Amino acid sequence: MNNDIPVQALGGQGEIMAHAVDACVHCGFCLPACPTYALLGDEMDSPRGRIVLMKEVLEGQLPLMDAAPHLDRCLGCQACVTACPSGVPYGELITAFRGWSEPQRDRSVFDRAKRWAILKALPAPKVFSVAARAGQFAKPLAPALPAALRGPLDLLPERVPALQPSPAFTPSQGPRRGRVAFLVGCAQQALAPNFNAATLRVLSRNGIEVVIPEGQGCCGAAALHTGAREEALKLVRANLNAFQPEEFDAILSNAAGCGAGLKEYPAVLHGESDEARARAFAAKVMDISEYLNALLQSGDLAPPMPARRPLNVAYHDACHLAHAQGVRAAPRALLRAIPGVSVLEVPEGDLCCGSAGTYNLEQPELAGQLGQRKAQNILSTTPDLIASGNIGCHTQIQSHVRRQGSPVPVMHTIEVLDLAYRGEL
Amino acid sequence: MKPEKQALTTTSRAPKPASAGGSHSALAAELTRLLGPRRVLSNLSERLNYRYDAIQFGATPLAVVLPESTQDVITAVRAARAAGVPIVGRGAASGLSGGAAPLEPGLVISFTRMTRLSIHPERREATAQAGVVTLAVSEAARPHGLIYPPDPASLRTSTIGGNLAENAGGPLCFKYGVSGDYVRALEFVDADGGVHHLTRDAFDLAGLLIGSEGTLGLITEATLRLIPPPRFTRTLMAHFPEVGACAEAVSRAIAAGAVPSKLEFMDRACTNAVEDYLHLGLPREAEAVLLVDTDGEDLDTVQDELRLVEAACLEAGGTVRRAATDEEGAALWRARRSVSPALGRIRPQRMNEDIVVPRSALPEVVREIRALGDASPFPVVQFGHIGDGNLHPNILFDPRREDPHAVHDLAHRIALVAIRHGGVLSGEHGIGSMKREFMTDAVDPETLGALRRVKRALDPHGALNPGKILPLEEAPHAHP
Ligand SMILES: Cc1cc2nc3c(=O)[nH]c(=O)nc-3n(C[C@H](O)[C@H](O)[C@H](O)COP(=O)(O)OP(=O)(O)OC[C@H]3O[C@@H](n4cnc5c(N)ncnc54)[C@H](O)[C@@H]3O)c2cc1C
Ligand code: SF4
Ligand code: SF4
Repeated sequence: MNNDIPVQALGGQGEIMAHAVDACVHCGFCLPACPTYALLGDEMDSPRGRIVLMKEVLEGQLPLMDAAPHLDRCLGCQACVTACPSGVPYGELITAFRGWSEPQRDRSVFDRAKRWAILKALPAPKVFSVAARAGQFAKPLAPALPAALRGPLDLLPERVPALQPSPAFTPSQGPRRGRVAFLVGCAQQALAPNFNAATLRVLSRNGIEVVIPEGQGCCGAAALHTGAREEALKLVRANLNAFQPEEFDAILSNAAGCGAGLKEYPAVLHGESDEARARAFAAKVMDISEYLNALLQSGDLAPPMPARRPLNVAYHDACHLAHAQGVRAAPRALLRAIPGVSVLEVPEGDLCCGSAGTYNLEQPELAGQLGQRKAQNILSTTPDLIASGNIGCHTQIQSHVRRQGSPVPVMHTIEVLDLAYRGEL
Repeated sequence: MKPEKQALTTTSRAPKPASAGGSHSALAAELTRLLGPRRVLSNLSERLNYRYDAIQFGATPLAVVLPESTQDVITAVRAARAAGVPIVGRGAASGLSGGAAPLEPGLVISFTRMTRLSIHPERREATAQAGVVTLAVSEAARPHGLIYPPDPASLRTSTIGGNLAENAGGPLCFKYGVSGDYVRALEFVDADGGVHHLTRDAFDLAGLLIGSEGTLGLITEATLRLIPPPRFTRTLMAHFPEVGACAEAVSRAIAAGAVPSKLEFMDRACTNAVEDYLHLGLPREAEAVLLVDTDGEDLDTVQDELRLVEAACLEAGGTVRRAATDEEGAALWRARRSVSPALGRIRPQRMNEDIVVPRSALPEVVREIRALGDASPFPVVQFGHIGDGNLHPNILFDPRREDPHAVHDLAHRIALVAIRHGGVLSGEHGIGSMKREFMTDAVDPETLGALRRVKRALDPHGALNPGKILPLEEAPHAHP
């Protein structure tokens, strides 16, 4: 798309934004992929429309606050990236734009307090855990609270588990076949500690030793995608210091959002001194399912035990796995590697579940509509089990599936595999 | 079926910000009074987003209406007429001729929320509001053992209203016809806000609306014909040392009695672009690659037809590769489907021509266009539905570095090649504003006069999509 974005004035992030706008030929092929377009049916809440809005703001043709409501409704799910025939890097554009625009926004005191709380709590498992427990006690009060607070409370599990420490080193069972570094994630540790426990067991079982480097922290995705660029840069640099990519076969994440965040580091640091380090780091980052699937494909995956009865597993593609990282086949292949498991495809599978980072907090109404639609679509396949590879999707889907009165369990792909290894599936 | 589009309530609680050129045109205010704020867009940020289609940016509209019913359309048209402003219909804005981009500020009526669709299997019909996405018709019909065959490459995005307004085609059109062939009845709103229900008899007024690009009326609903899908499909790819041989093979196969469902051609530049992008093992040296599907109810007939095509290709000096499995067939078609992204990697922009020429003239036309391309500073690639001589020469360019006038000039020369060989300006993408000036080359003055009288009869004040299709009367266009 023709544009006059003042790249010089905007620096490295400006280059990224101008490149994305250039590449868009406004063909509209991305429209049917976009969840907000599916709900609202207007151009401003579509990927193409948002690209035009960002272009106009960057060119100085449109006040930021006029475009903001539509840009804020973007889930960052990147379904548009998968759909785009011209390879427009929309994800990089919106992230860079949010970073550029946030300092120029005037937000209400309430809004700012909410954002501050999110940005502080999410990356700090201890704080988050305490907050989550506090929230748990507030649950009965939910009907009396404003929607912005009700949304997150709804998502809390009935019982918030105790925080479990992660071992700095997990040896391999049997001869060592590989050595990986593992990012433990933030909110996930508080809400679903078993994801990490299962991950460590499965890796170890496969002869992989796992190091959890000290000094690692939040991947920075939440800060980055809400426009808190300075916060994000601190977190990014801390991780670059904590992980030494040359010491490991891979740097693994079991949360799609975090994995995608880690893979974004080179774009975040584009044009800055650490860019080369970020590249070396990102080149080693893999989702847990990608890594295990490589073992499966080379015939090296320890065979899981058969399920005790035939199991229909509905697999939900997390946006940050399928769209942002392009990982679709690997988790399905791992599930199918368990004898007795069939994988079900979900109708409208590419449509975001509405969880998307802090979306439940920022856009509770749209998030709720999408969550409901997702739960209906999943349940229409009448699954015995629902599997997914992302903590955000997990809590959202679980909450909406329960709301529809269904008891079907929701698990991380790796939990399913772990159960199979233990003969408990 | 998808749920109806919904309005935001809580998240739009914040007052709509006023801004320069802001929300307060009298028209927008009146429309909001009549239709409510949810169906009317008046902020600058909203209006800016309704000024383009897939090829061109136009004027920012004064107001945008997102109707949910025919009644909303009538209300909007009457209000725009009272205000004396032009009206532009818009579907998904995937058009490639500037049709949905307003040439002057006015009212845009965007049909994307008119998505009601019902299937009547007993009559093999679908009733679709204008904003129904094309693919959705087949998706809804398939459980009843039926499909809607028109298949523009944009079928996941484009709307039935837009398809009918452009009379869109697609690879399947050689055997199955274009959008207009599937219309049993149309509902449209005229320039004064009157509603009409048309069938295909008497004067075929429905036929006149089809392909009229929103210049004669606004299509609000269509009754579409559905057919059972073919049970079997077989695929082959052939390549030729020369374009003439490819065209000859196609003519021979058709003369021998084959009616392939798809016949797609890619020239050497196009094949190489795809190969650079995907590394599929396509024949880089070939001057022409041909992709063919035969399909039908009976496998033997489908195979026989494929054999006829194969024999014709071999006789014409081609090399043939048959797909052994459905997966292999899909892999071959991947090459054709990847043309758009592959070209996007060469230059960010392209001008997509859409000419149709007699098949016998095709070799000569392809050669002449190639020569024009070689003599120009732009890469020019050619592909298209060769079965009915529909060619898409694409001029690739970078608007930051290259002169758009030179691009336009080259497009004009290409159009003239088609006309010289007895062809027409548009196979499926429409005339819009892009090829409007070329109309005086393509259509004789008497016929142009008749078209103008039709336009005046249905739209006496020239309110509907002004500046499209018909060239200006006063200033005859001078050609190089
Ligand atoms: C990558 C790409 C591939 C394409 N491939 C094909 C192809 O294979 N075959 C093909 O034929 N086209 C193709 N197209 C062109 C385009 O998709 C078609 O012309 C399509 O029919 C336009 O539909 P739309 O809903 O996007 O209409 P728009 O672009 O929104 O509008 C097109 C025209 O129709 C008018 N219009 C829209 N809705 C109505 C209505 N309800 N009543 C009256 N007038 C209306 C508009 O004013 C405009 O003049 C392609 C486009 C792209 C970007
Ligand atoms: S599909 Fe890609 S090129 Fe087309 S409008 Fe969307 S982002 Fe732009
Ligand atoms: S990231 Fe998701 S929500 Fe945002 S524009 Fe793309 S498809 Fe729509």
